[in-house]
Amino acid sequence: MEKAKTLAPRHELADMLSRNAIFFLLFLLVVAMFVLGEIVAHGFLSLSHIGAILRTASFLGIVAIGQTLVVLSGGIDLSVGPIITMGNVFICMFMNGLDANNVWSLSAIILLGLAFGSINGLGVTYLRISPLVMTLAVGSLVTGLTLIFSQGAPKGLASPLLREIGVGNLFNLIPAIVVTWAVLSALVIALLGRSVYGRKLYYAGANLKAAALSGIRVRLVKIIAYALGGACAVLSGTLMAGYTRDAFLGIGNEYTMWSIAAVVIGGTSLTGGKGGYVGTIAGAIILVLLESLLTVMNMPEAGRRIANGLIILIMISIYFRKRNRG
Amino acid sequence: MTEKQKNLRLFVPVYAIFFVIYLVACIIEPTFFTWENNVNLFTRITPLIIVGIAQTLVILTGGIDLSLGASIGLANVIAASLPFVNSPANIALWLLVPPLVGLGVGLVNGLIITRGGFPPLIVTLAAGAIWKGVSLFVLPEPGGEVSRGVAGALTGTLFNFVPVPLVILLVVVFLFQIVLRRTQFGRSVYAVGGNETIAIESGIAVDRVKIGVYALSGMLGGVAGMFLSGWMNSGDPLVGEPYILNSIAVAVIGGTSLSGGTGGVVGIIGGAYIFHLLNNILNLLAVSTFYQYVAKGLILIAALAVTSTGAGIRLGSIFRKRREAESG
Repeated sequence: MEKAKTLAPRHELADMLSRNAIFFLLFLLVVAMFVLGEIVAHGFLSLSHIGAILRTASFLGIVAIGQTLVVLSGGIDLSVGPIITMGNVFICMFMNGLDANNVWSLSAIILLGLAFGSINGLGVTYLRISPLVMTLAVGSLVTGLTLIFSQGAPKGLASPLLREIGVGNLFNLIPAIVVTWAVLSALVIALLGRSVYGRKLYYAGANLKAAALSGIRVRLVKIIAYALGGACAVLSGTLMAGYTRDAFLGIGNEYTMWSIAAVVIGGTSLTGGKGGYVGTIAGAIILVLLESLLTVMNMPEAGRRIANGLIILIMISIYFRKRNRG
Repeated sequence: MTEKQKNLRLFVPVYAIFFVIYLVACIIEPTFFTWENNVNLFTRITPLIIVGIAQTLVILTGGIDLSLGASIGLANVIAASLPFVNSPANIALWLLVPPLVGLGVGLVNGLIITRGGFPPLIVTLAAGAIWKGVSLFVLPEPGGEVSRGVAGALTGTLFNFVPVPLVILLVVVFLFQIVLRRTQFGRSVYAVGGNETIAIESGIAVDRVKIGVYALSGMLGGVAGMFLSGWMNSGDPLVGEPYILNSIAVAVIGGTSLSGGTGGVVGIIGGAYIFHLLNNILNLLAVSTFYQYVAKGLILIAALAVTSTGAGIRLGSIFRKRREAESG
């Protein structure tokens, strides 16, 4: 019963307000890291560096949209890394550096993302395979297909338009990719907070049986979450291609774990049904900021990994203390 | 249904699939059936089986251990960085230290998970990142050294006949089968994974059981890291990475349910074989590694679809009915 209460949109708002302390904390963390960075290396707080950090966070933030939806549905998506790489490699092959190929390439790549995401969803719902291993298996499948079709040596280039989105700035100030991320964020926040689908997703994630009994087609709701997860991953890979111009086979590797970390740091519960995308945005920025901060501090890779692990542990201990109390 | 029949129901599909793949391998590639190829297979799957058991123990309680890769890696680099190389002291330390390192990693996991009530997935993910960082401090690049003769002993034969890795893997599986089926601790593991509330109400020290499985998982990770250091005669901080997801795959193919409470270690040998045979066959057939990823994904989905939708259980029940008909 208690779980069900938080589900109606009115209560979701109340839930969000009660968690304002968390958002304040996340915001404080971001500010503190920026200030610390400025102390360590002058220029950390410059507009161009903030822009660079947000640009890097955009790639992670867009993947994490899909991861947030899937985690809210009560699952997890370990195939995002391979799907990012697939999007990255295939979009360059499709576009071949020509603007004429834009429309069909982008449609084809999004469809591919939706398709592999749906395979995840179908396996989880109809074959009743646990999300962890289903998405792991699909990840392996996608990696293989990417290697086969690129023959291990990706070819092609991003089109000038995609390149413009990847590296260009709006009004010479805001990176175009950050604007893209902002638009997508607004869409997903509206989807989760205002749409019927969003409500069903929270409901299905919090209590699958109750949701099914109240007439929600939970399988469809979940499949859509996974499909959107796949689409977000290929989109992120596509934008990475715009940024680096050509494709790179290992580009998505780290993003599987990073996207889960962003979701968790943002306060979304891995058991499903609780949380939202606003926190994930903060989670993505914090992770990228931490990486940048440790780089200017000349921390070796070993130290960076330790810091990443520690920040996740610290954040979950804060969330859980709060949940146990309230 | 007796415990034995329950075991059968879980493990019949695994070994059926294994048998089919093995048979196909022998038919399409005559060199497959050679003794050398099979001994080589034992060596390769031994670490996979050890970590598969580790992951199975944790999964049986309803948890998951994503830090296994890091406990393997940390034990591995420490095993390759021990002092007094090429002396009995080094070998003694090599046998003793890595499992203890793994045990420490697992204990910390278990304590954080039980004391904080945090989700195992994220705790072990974070702890894994931390320990991986520590292993990179110990040995930033692959290297190090293990005493001479260790590699030979690990991949050699007993009495010029029985391959050592086969002995190791059979002993470990047998040991943990006994731990799970014949001890109080083993029964508690199933109880905790089956229904935690009932386990608490029936007086099981749930936290202690959980700390126990994470500690054992870490220790087995340490043993696997030790084995790898001896076999390869060097250390590598990232050697454990593939084992994180492979251990989960092997445990699940071996018949253990990710929701906890059902499964066991008997299916692991079959699970590890299925997982590894595919690579072996595809390598022998000189299929590009690109297709191996696809094959691995498809086989994993197929095996899981068979076990999770109940097709495997139906197969098992046909088997059971026939036996009942024969005996009745």
